[in-house]
Order: sequence, then structure tokens, then C-alpha cells
Amino acid sequence: MTMASNAGQAGDLLLSVEDVDVGYGHVGVLEGVTLSVRRGSIAALVGRNGAGKSTLLRAISGLLTPSRGQIVFNGRAISRDKPHAIVGAGLLHVAEGRRLFRSQSVDDNLELGVYGLKMDAAGYQRRLARVFELFPVLEEKRRLPAGALSGGQQQMLAIGQAMMREPVLLMLDEPSLGLSPLLVDQVFAAIMALQQAGTTILLVEQLVERALEIASEAWVLQNGRMIASGPAAQIAASEELRAAYMAAH
Amino acid sequence: MDIDILARGLVAGSLYALVAVSFNILYRPTNVFNFAQGELVMLGAMVFASLATVLGWPWYAALIVTLLGVGLLTLLIDVVAVAPVLARSQHGTGWVITTLAASLIIANGVNRIWGPDPIVVRPPAPLTTDTFSLAGMTVSAYQIFLVLLTVILVLAIEQVYRTRQGKAVLAVAEDREAALLRGVNPLRLSRWSFFLGGAFAGLTGVLAAPVLYASTGLGPALLLKGFAAAAVGSIGNNRGALIAGYLIGVTEALGAALLSPGYQEAVVFLLVLCVLLVWPHGLFGRPFARTV
Ligand SMILES: Nc1ncnc2c1ncn2[C@@H]1O[C@H](COP(=O)(O)OP(=O)(O)O)[C@@H](O)[C@H]1O
Ligand SMILES: [Mg+2]
Repeated sequence: MTMASNAGQAGDLLLSVEDVDVGYGHVGVLEGVTLSVRRGSIAALVGRNGAGKSTLLRAISGLLTPSRGQIVFNGRAISRDKPHAIVGAGLLHVAEGRRLFRSQSVDDNLELGVYGLKMDAAGYQRRLARVFELFPVLEEKRRLPAGALSGGQQQMLAIGQAMMREPVLLMLDEPSLGLSPLLVDQVFAAIMALQQAGTTILLVEQLVERALEIASEAWVLQNGRMIASGPAAQIAASEELRAAYMAAH
Repeated sequence: MDIDILARGLVAGSLYALVAVSFNILYRPTNVFNFAQGELVMLGAMVFASLATVLGWPWYAALIVTLLGVGLLTLLIDVVAVAPVLARSQHGTGWVITTLAASLIIANGVNRIWGPDPIVVRPPAPLTTDTFSLAGMTVSAYQIFLVLLTVILVLAIEQVYRTRQGKAVLAVAEDREAALLRGVNPLRLSRWSFFLGGAFAGLTGVLAAPVLYASTGLGPALLLKGFAAAAVGSIGNNRGALIAGYLIGVTEALGAALLSPGYQEAVVFLLVLCVLLVWPHGLFGRPFARTV
């Protein structure tokens, strides 16, 4: 399960979380959690509210430090790294609730997407054009503060901001939350377009069926433990998935 | 009524606004008020006065050394007194004590080195503090320069926040964790902000010296009124600080003229109290809605 090189090939393990415990202060949330994501794939992480999905993403992006176990990204242990170093390594986390800089303009938010990267103006414009191609509405609203956008537009901006960095692995936490069905379709189309362009995706979604449709592998979290994993189609029909969504805490 | 009051009020108000802006520069990425800010202004005035007046250095050399020196000292305050406190707890308030301690140490040190006597500082030619009559007011070229330069400096500082690093500082101020997830390293931005805010405080001291003299007593008064200007103008809002600085300066001058100089402080803080009772976040609203 170790990586031979950083360059990597499609199909090898890009991210592996190995037997981690994570909590807030002295309150434990995750216990012995393991998860892995193959390069180039879409992996879905599902489980009911409060299962610990966001907590796991926060540990992967360095906002929380596991008290046990380790996290390996692109062949490198990152469990003790600071969040900015993890972003620098190409692992990006679009947090639940979008967390845009609401008082800054759409343009400024997109610019912050490339914070810390060195690139010339032409390279920047090329990335901007890709975002606007996928989400034309952002170009129309580029001078407005992000806080003035609708929920769906804010989600597009959050994904667009992440695209600006061209991450190796993109983790999306509940991207469809609060969106109308039409916008949900757009967001899922965008996720698939990103995967086609080579980005690996770890998707946390409350629309479980839709997430399992586009994912190749799925992981099921219940009360802070990983209770099932496997090919998404298999998980979709599994007893564990049903149990995870029915069980009381 | 003597309309010189307006000129005096605007000059004092400019200094309060500059102190308030230096508060804001440090506050934005850290949510910390550096209570040593007043003494850093005083230190800037003393260092510049010593180099330029006592040692006879050219003003620009004295200015550069003053800004670098006070900026680096403020960076040291971050490294020693602020960053370690915030590393323990991002929402802790230990910095109140540690920055006050830094303030006392600087005040004591300066008293040791320079003693209590003020140093007279003359502005470089062609600026002078000789007064002339303008539209019925008695003013000096230096006073006019100071008021205009203050506006320019505040607008220039706002331009810093249009750069990518500046936008990142605003991002940290608005949602620190979200900024972390975009690859921002807040510690690095804090250190730069402390350096910049310190240099700005030093510059304020240099600019204050010709009108107030360089003396060790400068710190506390500028700290209090500068802080008041920052609060009335809404913390973090530099244009607000500019307007609030003028408002406080003019109120103070009016209070001194209409009542008596003994009441000028009371009038100022009565105004501050009233404004903050009605608008707790200052006259210019909350700069950002914080998500914690
Ligand atoms: N900041 C926090 N402090 C303490 N406990 C938290 C915090 N955030 C989440 N939790 C707890 O951690 C558990 C998992 O939450 P979370 O990871 O948000 O679940 P999910 O994303 O699967 O809905 C919940 O019991 C929640 O109450
Ligand atoms: Mg969640």
C-alpha cells in the first residue's frame, strides 16, 4: 500500500487515512477510521448527520490533528502538517457551508483561490476562463461581493475558487446543501467535469443515491467508525448503508 | 468664537487617526489590540528627534532608521508577546496583559535613555511651523502638510489591502479557518502586519514631533485617543478611523475653547461614550460579519 513515486499513475492510492482517532479537545469523535482514495477517481463518503464526515475532512486538511494513526497524501505523511502546507501539496477542502469571503468580490475570492501560487497573468487568465466557462453566471457577477450571490451561485464560486488552484485532490463537503434540484444537477455536472479533467475527488453528500451514482468507491461512516467500504454500486445496495441511515445514535 | 479651533482640532485629529490606523493594521489579521501602540509612537518621535535634531542626520536617513527600528521592535512584540499567547488559544485574551507589559517596558526604557525633557523638532525645509493667516485661521505650513499627508497615508494603506497579500489579511479577518483552507498562513501575515503597523506608529511619532515636541509623555494620550478614534470609526475600518480622528480632535479643541482646557478630555470621552452607546460597533458599521 505504499507509494512508489510522487508522479503516480491513475488507479494508485492518492490519499490514505490509516486507523486515525480524531476529536475536539477531549471529546473523541472518530475512532480507528481508515479510508483511501484512488488517483483520478471519485470517492463518496456517506453517513447520517453527526457521523463524523466533516470531522474526517477537517483532519485530512490539517484543521484537526489526529491523536492516533496517520494520513498519507501523494506518498507523504501529512497528519502533522499545517493547513497551508497541505493546501500547498495540492489537497484542497471546500468546507461545509461554502465559507466564502462574503465581503470581498467574486473576483477577489477567485484570486484568493491561487493564494501562494506563482503564475503569470496569462496563466491566471486561462484558469479564470475555465471557471467562467463552467459557471458563466460568475462572470456576470464578478464585481459583486460574494455575500450578495444566491446559495447556488455561492456554491459555484466555492468550487470555482477551488478550481483556480487546480488541486490534485478536491474534497467537497455537502456541495448540494440548500440548492434547488436544477442547481444540484449543475453542481454534479461540474464535479464530473472536474474528474474528467484529471482531478481526484472525495465527495461528502447527503444526496446519497446521487453521490453513489457518480462515485466509483464509497465509504460509510456511522457514529465515528467506518462500517463499510467498497465499489459504490455494491455499497448502494448494501445492508450497512441502510443501517447507517436508520440507526439511532 | 475663534476659528483657529478648527485648525488645531484637525491637526490633533490627524494624529489620532494615524494611531487608529496603526491599531487597525495589527488588528485585522489577529483580532489583537496592541496596547504598546502609544509608546511605539512616542519611541518613533524620540528616535527621530535624537537622530535628526541631536545628531544632525539628514531627515530622510533618520526617518528610514526610525521606521525600520520601530517596525522591527513591533515584530518582536508579536514574536515574544502575542503569537505565543494566540498559539495557546486563538480566542484567549492574554495579549491584553502581554501587550500592556510591552508598553510599560518601552516606556521605562525610553525614560532611562532619554529622561523627561522634551526635544524640539523642526520640520525639514520648506515646511515650517511659522504661522500665517489663512481664511481667518492662524496656521503653519507644517499643519496643512500634516492634515493632507494623513489623508494620503490612509488612502495608501487602503491600497495595501488591494494587493493579494492584503486581500488575504482581510480574508483572515473575516473567516480565519476558511483562509487556512485556501493556503493562507496567518502567522506570516500577522508578522508582516506587526512590522507595518509598528513602522506606521513610528511614522506617526515622527509626524507628531514638530507639533507636540518629542517627549516621553506622548504615549498614553495618543494611545487613548487613537484607540477612541478606532472604536468610533469602527474597528478595522481605516476611512472610519480618519473621520473619527477628526471628529475627536475637533471636539477636543471645541471643549477646550468653550469650557476650559481642564474639561477637554472629559468632553472627548463623553462623545466617545455617547457614540458607542448608540452605535456599539462605531459609526461605520461592522467591517465584517465574523464567523467563528
Ligand atoms: N467544533 C466541535 N466541537 C465539539 N464537537 C463537535 C464539533 N464539531 C462537530 N462536533 C461533534 O462531532 C460529531 C461529528 O460531527 P460532524 O463531523 O460535523 O458530522 P457530519 O459531518 O457527519 O454531520 C458530532 O457529534 C458533533 O456534535
Ligand atoms: Mg458535516
